[in-house]
Amino acid sequence: MSLSDLVLSIADNKQMLGLRYAEWATRAPSLEADIAAAAMGLDDLGHSRVLYGCLEPLGADPRGPDRESDAASLRNLAYFDEPWTEWSQFVAANAVLDTAFTAMIEACVGGSVEVLQHRLRKMLMEERYHFLHGRSWLRSGIEPGPLERAWQEAIEWFGPPDGETAALHREGKISMGPGELRADLEKKLDVKPSRQSIDWQRWDPVRRRGTPGAIDPHTFGMLRGLEEKKYAPSSAAKQTTG
Amino acid sequence: MTGYKRVSGDAVEYEVFARKTRVEPLHQVGSVVAPDADLAMAYARATYDEERWCEMAIVRKEDVIHLWQPGEA
Repeated sequence: MSLSDLVLSIADNKQMLGLRYAEWATRAPSLEADIAAAAMGLDDLGHSRVLYGCLEPLGADPRGPDRESDAASLRNLAYFDEPWTEWSQFVAANAVLDTAFTAMIEACVGGSVEVLQHRLRKMLMEERYHFLHGRSWLRSGIEPGPLERAWQEAIEWFGPPDGETAALHREGKISMGPGELRADLEKKLDVKPSRQSIDWQRWDPVRRRGTPGAIDPHTFGMLRGLEEKKYAPSSAAKQTTG
Repeated sequence: MTGYKRVSGDAVEYEVFARKTRVEPLHQVGSVVAPDADLAMAYARATYDEERWCEMAIVRKEDVIHLWQPGEA
């Protein structure tokens, strides 16, 4: 796994996080929370664009043609595979996963790679408000299920203690390894997760997740622009109206 | 949504102030309702960030001390 693979993983996850946030823009518990969901969704979609734009300067773009046809080739966490049905899922993603991604971005900004140092810095300013939003809702209390799942996936996403993320840290390309990232996340949220049992043998180092699966067909079709075609007028209708 | 604390339960209203340049004073751009200052900051930024403000601040509405109000002058 290269630094490009890690950046692509952040980009894919931020893209999916942004889309899932946006799905709650008219379903959150208050008008303010609706607006925050929409704004955070836009932020994260924008961040994903910046991150995709870093792949070329990094010298190796790991995106292959299979991304057009195979949803399982996207490197998102399982947490984003399906739309969320409960506000608790939103809050757990906002507090734990969004903050985990921010910790990794901080590690990139603090590392030795110039393009990441410069291009990712502004994200940290915007992410401050995502963090405040997630932590505040988290403190108000949510269901334990989504929270435990988010912690599990965050720790898995940081990678095994002796894996390639740790190697990137040793090389100085990122300023924190898996242990430091986890400690940073726990400190920011001021909580320690319940004991997680992670089977690193089953962990996919490319997708950085412990379970197989892929995003739902509707979302994958939308990402590819196929959903748009459903709403386009047919050529016959175009001629009639023209 | 049962089981979740809606902002209407412990609602606190915050006034939002902002300015675009250093030479102009802060002025009120709106308000948000939130149960705590952290969430109010997140809501204020999300709601009123359409313009390029150089400064934004929030104040609890109940902390504003009125010298007089409409009809009392």
